[in-house]
Amino acid sequence: MSAFNLSEDQQDCLQELINVAMGQASDQLARYLDTFVHLRVPSIEQVSTTSLSNSLNQEQESVAVVSQGFLGYEGIRGEALLVYQHKDSDCIGNILGYEPDELSIEEQLIDLSSILTTTFLNVFAKQIDNQMSYNAPRLLSSGQDALAVYLQQLSFNCDMALKVKITYQVTDFSFNCDMILLIPESAIIHIKAVIDRILEDY
Amino acid sequence: MTSSVLICDDSNMARKQVVRSLPSHWPVEVQTAKNGLEALDILRSQAIDVLFLDLTMPELDGLGVLQKIQEEGISCSVFVISADVQPAMQVKVLELGATAFLRKPVEAETLMDELQVHGFL
Repeated sequence: MSAFNLSEDQQDCLQELINVAMGQASDQLARYLDTFVHLRVPSIEQVSTTSLSNSLNQEQESVAVVSQGFLGYEGIRGEALLVYQHKDSDCIGNILGYEPDELSIEEQLIDLSSILTTTFLNVFAKQIDNQMSYNAPRLLSSGQDALAVYLQQLSFNCDMALKVKITYQVTDFSFNCDMILLIPESAIIHIKAVIDRILEDY
Repeated sequence: MTSSVLICDDSNMARKQVVRSLPSHWPVEVQTAKNGLEALDILRSQAIDVLFLDLTMPELDGLGVLQKIQEEGISCSVFVISADVQPAMQVKVLELGATAFLRKPVEAETLMDELQVHGFL
């Protein structure tokens, strides 16, 4: 059986852990932007890393992507991608209240992404009695080829990954960003073990 | 006297979490709903004393349920239990008539305190 085949209960449990983490990350974002963040139900699906770069570019004509690797105990690891449409990334300075030339767009995107990623993953880790460490976030070159190359070069270099997609929608500013977590097959096995421990209590 | 309780959450685990957090000495009859539409069907067809309501759900979300409860004048105390802990959201649900807001994952002690504060225990 593939590591990706989560049972209904395992998928439900993972979704609920994600909901709680997403809620606290959105609270941080709302406080940072002094506004309200609309949340949707997150999606969880299995993807090939080669198709991911294509889908990113199909879904959004052009995107800016900030990537940050994470590593916990018990073999839990993955990559968090924060995906911004260029129309949103270009106006991020206005949203954050920066003066022109105060901080580059790249630095602003990295700051915002780091807040979302670390808040989300710290809350997620706490729920499963784990603790995460992070690589430095970096802004990826835009363009389909560059994204594809990057995704192939990720440290875990897997063909398939579990993709968790969370959309943060800031309605006051018509600003959206997607957080995409890519969890490789080797880490899924460990996450399933943790989920099974949680489910034993229910 | 037994209270009729409805738990509305799209997550099976979250529904179980609420059930096991209910005070053991509180006599209740529990029903569950997987989304807002299912919850409204139950609320329209029978008297429910307490609704434990999630916010982020498919079909019809928790805010939609609160709006319908107000519009249709359905009598029921709503305890929102949500991961969406933004202060603005907490204000919003209270404005829409919710009795209380509790953050996920709900804890038995917190739930009991809120039920006591609002006169259910």
